[in-house]
Amino acid sequence: MRIVIVGAGEVGFHIARQLSLEEKDVVLVDDSPEAIRRVEDHLDVQTVLGSGSNPNVLREAGIRGADILLAVTDRDETNLVACLAADLLAPHTTKIARIRDESYDELAAPLREKPPHIQTIINPETEVVHTILELMSVPGAVDVGSFEGGRIKLVGIAIDARSPLAGMRLSELPGLSGPVRPLIAALVRENRLIVPRGKDRLRPGDLAYFISEEERLFDNLAFFGKRESPIRRVLIVGGGRIGLRLAARLEDKGIAAKVIEKNADRCALLAEKLGRTVVLCGDGSDQDLLQEENVRDMDLVVTVTQDEETNILTALLATRLGVGKAICKIDKFSYFPLMKAIGIEQVVSPRLSAINSILQHIRKGKVLSAMAIQGEQAEVLEAVALETSDIVGRPLRSVEFPKGAMVAAVIRDGRIILPTGESVVEPGDRVILFALRDAVPGIERLLAVKLEYF
Amino acid sequence: MRWGYVLHVTGLLVLVIGAALLLPLGLALLGGEAAAGPFALSAGLSIGCGLVMHLTLRREQAEVLTSREGMAIVSCGWIAAAVFGALPFRFALGLSWTDALFESVSGFTTTGSTIIADIEVLPRSLIVWRSFIQWLGGMGIIVLSIAILPFLKVGGMQLYKAEAPTPVPDRLRPHMRDTAKVLWKVYVLFTAAEAALLAAGGMGLFDAVNHALTTLPTGGFSPWNASIEHFGSLYVDLVILGFMVLAGINFSLHYRLLRGEGLAFWRDAECRFYLGLVAALVAGVAVSIHGTVYAGWGEALRYGAFQVASILTTTGYATADYDRWPDTARLLLFGCMFIGACAGSTGGGMKCLRVIVALKHCYRELYLLIHPHAVSRLKLGGRVVTEEIAHSILAFVALYVLLFAAGALLLSLSGLDLVSAAGAAATALGNTGPGFGAVGPSQTFAPLSDPAKGVLIVLMLLGRLEIYTLLILVVPEFYRK
Repeated sequence: MRIVIVGAGEVGFHIARQLSLEEKDVVLVDDSPEAIRRVEDHLDVQTVLGSGSNPNVLREAGIRGADILLAVTDRDETNLVACLAADLLAPHTTKIARIRDESYDELAAPLREKPPHIQTIINPETEVVHTILELMSVPGAVDVGSFEGGRIKLVGIAIDARSPLAGMRLSELPGLSGPVRPLIAALVRENRLIVPRGKDRLRPGDLAYFISEEERLFDNLAFFGKRESPIRRVLIVGGGRIGLRLAARLEDKGIAAKVIEKNADRCALLAEKLGRTVVLCGDGSDQDLLQEENVRDMDLVVTVTQDEETNILTALLATRLGVGKAICKIDKFSYFPLMKAIGIEQVVSPRLSAINSILQHIRKGKVLSAMAIQGEQAEVLEAVALETSDIVGRPLRSVEFPKGAMVAAVIRDGRIILPTGESVVEPGDRVILFALRDAVPGIERLLAVKLEYF
Repeated sequence: MRWGYVLHVTGLLVLVIGAALLLPLGLALLGGEAAAGPFALSAGLSIGCGLVMHLTLRREQAEVLTSREGMAIVSCGWIAAAVFGALPFRFALGLSWTDALFESVSGFTTTGSTIIADIEVLPRSLIVWRSFIQWLGGMGIIVLSIAILPFLKVGGMQLYKAEAPTPVPDRLRPHMRDTAKVLWKVYVLFTAAEAALLAAGGMGLFDAVNHALTTLPTGGFSPWNASIEHFGSLYVDLVILGFMVLAGINFSLHYRLLRGEGLAFWRDAECRFYLGLVAALVAGVAVSIHGTVYAGWGEALRYGAFQVASILTTTGYATADYDRWPDTARLLLFGCMFIGACAGSTGGGMKCLRVIVALKHCYRELYLLIHPHAVSRLKLGGRVVTEEIAHSILAFVALYVLLFAAGALLLSLSGLDLVSAAGAAATALGNTGPGFGAVGPSQTFAPLSDPAKGVLIVLMLLGRLEIYTLLILVVPEFYRK
């Protein structure tokens, strides 16, 4: 599969890395020599120097033989023109564009039907708001992914010393539980992702990923010792595009929100567009302002200003002043490993959200949905099992999976089955697979031959 | 620097050499030659050492390879390949360690200088080994490893850059491994084509294969003492001449040509320059030797063209003893050793690309003296050559000349006369093969002293790895934490 990516920023770079590791042919186009050099030094992909909106550059990048065009530069105009040029040069190429201007969201359908035939528009801000809402919907979760239209959740939670499960072996868990049997798909320990076995113990400090049906989610969370009340009051620091959109969505859900924004003109606009939300003009890192607004009664603070250092510091300050939880927006991937160390567990990134969303669309037509976790170290895939497949018709324990991959759930006639080694997959089942990055090509190969995707 | 990791990968390259040694071992066993024992010993030692290095030094998994580590791996890999490739010469022929290493380095670097006076008495397996190491070294053992070994997916580009004989490596396919495979496929195809053409012209299969194996890498080892002159056949001369010229052209152009881009050679500025240069030099040498050495134009062109192509592409075959030609012709050939073939080919020397850029840069300086306020950019084939690349090329040219001078000086200290010392230094640094005077095309390098051979070994490796990759190892800054 050949994929042309226009834009070698964080989004383009990380998608290129992920796809090239999966043995796909990737060509990256960027007009900045520095960006190109960074790519050449770190990734096994072809590069073309030039503007992605230039047809000659696209031709040089081999757009004619490409299956997918990803236009993910920081400029909407470049992305749109790149898609337009690609549509003229190679009408059969699937085009995905990153467009930040939300007014285009409603044009998604005409853009798909008519030239430039952009199959999907990815708006990082929309994606990140979606991620924040999802995190809020699962109290105590650090990371949440949805499958089967939201009916299956992959939830990451931190195991702390107070957790009743800390120190237990995985094989001991089923004996304990009452109504639920959590399926732990992965552990993140000291920034390394591991697929645990029965004899592995849960340790304080681990980040555990488990799979759960939506209706059992709260039972599962309780099982892990996460009994947190639903969120009713939210403080949003930063009234930019993300802040505004988030506040509007919270209003729809009936959650009380306050927005702090520095810029007075922007505040006026926020007040105009928002209804019940309290718009405050001031500095989010101003301790007096926070106390004046009763910050300790807030259930959650979300820091989404343009400046990530401000986001981090404000989140820390707010938690010190008594806010229960903080969600912090960060763009620099290199900060991710630090966040846990300084006490911020819930981090969102428009770029990571965009990457997730794009990966999902790249797999579309093959895989129903996909989600990257822990800075792309692993992926969760959803696929359909066909009769020809090797995994059909025999116990899962006798199926040979690539190392670091497992079946997390099987969906049959709308029912969710959490499989054991004895479970048998039947033709037509939907299978949710969990795979470490190294195992993704293996899984894809296994599935490409044996288990045909949609 | 993770030296453990560097040596871990180097061990893998030693394993590749060990595997390559199985080929002559098989031939020796088939032919019932006495060389079978020494080859078995060499292969065993290589595979053993390679395994020990590879398995014991496995420390951390390297996700990203720094360019510094890439250069260290390539340098260590080449030195290790040369050392293990020398074992058969030591064990089977009883050469001294210096001589064996000289022969091996001369092989891998595709130089083609030899210290063996009588090649015709060697066992066939050893002749094949000499040709085979040239063939492996021509396209590059690292490029081969990237193509066949499933390791270092990410670091491939760093390694390729450190080994490829070009200032700006071409990536033909998105994955480095596919690029390496493509290059090797073209290389194998051309080798097979040449062997078939030579065999069709009446040359024995053994000679045809051996010559094909040493023409494509622009190596120059021949199973015969008199080199190509032995055959005295116009057909053989022409076929080899053609393939030498082809081997001197950038292999990405061959790939494009084979993909159906008929004008690939013509569209490339460097290739145009190179082909024009060949024609001009042939004309110059022919004029010089016509009437003085050869009576007819036909002979002057035939021998002139072959010698020019052989030295310019840094192959080093001979059909005539050019050392007895007039000084103009000898000087032209001496210049050929410096210029070399195209970047991205298997040839050595400074490469036409660098020569063009250096010349254009000089012209640009003059132009700016005339128009002090002019804005001018250095362009090649319509594309801008960035300042950074231009500077790196100028530094390369300066280093090349400096190393040549230093080498010639050291060789003269060992007792060589001016012409021989200069010729030997130029031929070693350019990976050409024969030199002038005491090391001319009808001589061998055997009479040289051990220190002189040592100097030449270093020069050959520097020339093949394009100076920077190897020279960086002697810069103290390289080892600072």
